Amino acid sequence: MSDSNVINVGVDLGTSRSVVSGSNGQRHVIESYVAWPVDMVARKVLKKSVLIGEEAVKSRTMVDLHRPLERGLIKEGSEKDLAAVRELLRHLLELAVSSAPKPKAKTKAKGKAGEADAGPAKVRAVVGVPAEAMRVNKAQLRKALEGAVDSLMIVSEPFAVAYGLDALLNSLILDIGAGTTDFCLMRGRFPTEDDQRTLTSAGDSIDEYLLKLFTDRHPEASVTIYMVREWKEKHGFVGEAQGKVEVTAPVNGRPTTYDITDMLRTACESIVEPITEAMLDLLPRIEPEFQSDVRNNIILSGGTSQLPGLRPALEKALDELGGGTIKAVKDPVFCGADGGLAIALDAPDSDWDKLS
Amino acid sequence: MSEKGTSDPSSPSQLRRHILSQAVADNVSEKAGERVRPQPAVAAPPAGPRRDRRLLWLIPIVAVAALWPLIKGGDGGRDGAEPNSPAQELGTLRGAGEPEGSEGAGPVVATPLFDAPKPIDFSVIPLAVERIVIDPGHGGTDTGTTGGGLSEKDMTLDIGFRLRDELEEQGFEVFMTREDDSEISLRQRALQANTLRADLFVSIHINWIAQRSVRGLETYFLGGTDDPVLEALARKENRESGYSLADMKSLLEGIYTDVRQDESRQFASHVQRSLYRSLLRQNPQLRDRGVKTAPFVVLVATEMPAILAEVSCLSNEQEAKLLARPLYRQHIAEALSRGIRGYADEVHQSEAKGS
Repeated sequence: MSDSNVINVGVDLGTSRSVVSGSNGQRHVIESYVAWPVDMVARKVLKKSVLIGEEAVKSRTMVDLHRPLERGLIKEGSEKDLAAVRELLRHLLELAVSSAPKPKAKTKAKGKAGEADAGPAKVRAVVGVPAEAMRVNKAQLRKALEGAVDSLMIVSEPFAVAYGLDALLNSLILDIGAGTTDFCLMRGRFPTEDDQRTLTSAGDSIDEYLLKLFTDRHPEASVTIYMVREWKEKHGFVGEAQGKVEVTAPVNGRPTTYDITDMLRTACESIVEPITEAMLDLLPRIEPEFQSDVRNNIILSGGTSQLPGLRPALEKALDELGGGTIKAVKDPVFCGADGGLAIALDAPDSDWDKLS
Repeated sequence: MSEKGTSDPSSPSQLRRHILSQAVADNVSEKAGERVRPQPAVAAPPAGPRRDRRLLWLIPIVAVAALWPLIKGGDGGRDGAEPNSPAQELGTLRGAGEPEGSEGAGPVVATPLFDAPKPIDFSVIPLAVERIVIDPGHGGTDTGTTGGGLSEKDMTLDIGFRLRDELEEQGFEVFMTREDDSEISLRQRALQANTLRADLFVSIHINWIAQRSVRGLETYFLGGTDDPVLEALARKENRESGYSLADMKSLLEGIYTDVRQDESRQFASHVQRSLYRSLLRQNPQLRDRGVKTAPFVVLVATEMPAILAEVSCLSNEQEAKLLARPLYRQHIAEALSRGIRGYADEVHQSEAKGS
């Protein structure tokens, strides 16, 4: 099989957003929402049978809205969520493959020759999923995703990040996403279960906590989880506040301003302790001679890792073990998908053949 | 002495290749349906021939170790819910469900029942009626009712074609459940409409009334009935479906609250009014027998507003004579079309062409 007719893609199927990075240079981000109109009327109005991403959220009054990888895994036995994962992947591939103008080659690694020319390209995808989904739903995921591509490899998201950054030896990937926080210890091998740990303290748990704090204090105001999520994304922080955080929420329809500085901090900081605890539990288990290496090679990725003040707070917790360094990845949005793409490009044809 | 990891690859690129091959192997075994875990910690990557040999006899132990969490059904507090469970059929779509599993659940309605749409305030949503499915009743060996040398299946098909022309002229997209004298099950008819995602479903039938002097028009939408005559009629029309009326009734309990019912009621009254007003001129003795509810299978199993119109009576000799005339059948088709159009326009501000 010649390279000319193959498009390699790396996909990051996240709880909150999904990203695709193609060997043709296509890079796209969408929100991980999939929705189906609730009935005939909604279908008429929306003029679509499936809605993806932002569009799905906007139409949420008329649709059955799914975030298929809630809490990092597909709800057991939920056909809808499996179908949603597939739709998500399909949509990402459409974005990457169909919308590609003239495929430009040479994105990464070995710089495979340009995939140009005619004929429908074969798609090889490396799909990164939350580590927890790998553990629990891998077979189902494979089944759901297989039809959407010609060849498929599923890896855990933090592994894809590690591969993309070439941090395969003595490093710890700390991937703080929406549904889960994943720890993945890279010790020169494909990570086993022992090398990985998952917490549900992540972006979503901040949102839920903030919503609870807010509604407890201001029961008169109407707020939704979506509003709260937006507040966090815009103003969230850990540690010192950079100023008062004010938001508006309707009270009986009238916009009212609230100062949420303190509760926002409380909510955001709620993930620090569980994460540091897990980190401090994981690090001493490494063979002693490598511990300091790993401690100084902690890599922070994932959307929620971008919360201002979070990285220093985690780094400070390492003092207890003699200090360490936590580096944030340069491109937290694309690092997972780019890592997947690197895997896809590196894998020899013979391996891909086994996976088609 | 340079520090090395728990494994000892001789170069970074070799390490990449090594890890990549493990990732592939993991996926290949998953694909093959084996539940083989990646190598656990003891199995370090190859370092030398001697070590390799040692590893050989380690393999069974390693395998057991790898599978142990599975056997135990848990892994350090995690609950090891394994996806070994029979994989769920994916993407099962709604539709007039196929008769799988008897459960007493009538296959025809099973899916719509469980997938009942949430109510929506229709007044806030302008709905365009675009696609209409016409269902000419009966067909094939199922002639329907007969009288005056006519059979119901032929009349309904003829009126169906005429109605199709009328509606198409107005810009609607029209489909027919049958276009020739073929026998199509009621379930199949409903399924067609559902698959096409039609906006409206119109089933055309001709009545036979025991009191032969009566010339009557009736339009049905989905609902229950206590009228023994209607029960008999429904039983007759539902004959091919294979379910008793009693079965139907219990199934229907759930569906009566369906949002479709209101829509169908309005749809039915538009059509009935139009039929009666238009045909009265040609047929002064015509009786308006009104809009009624009955559990016809095609009305139960369809997912869109659906009606069944009994547009004439073959039991009445005069009526049969009228029906034998193409012009009268054309009048019926036009009356149906006006009723459908009226419903589409008034209730839902149709965006269909030619408005």
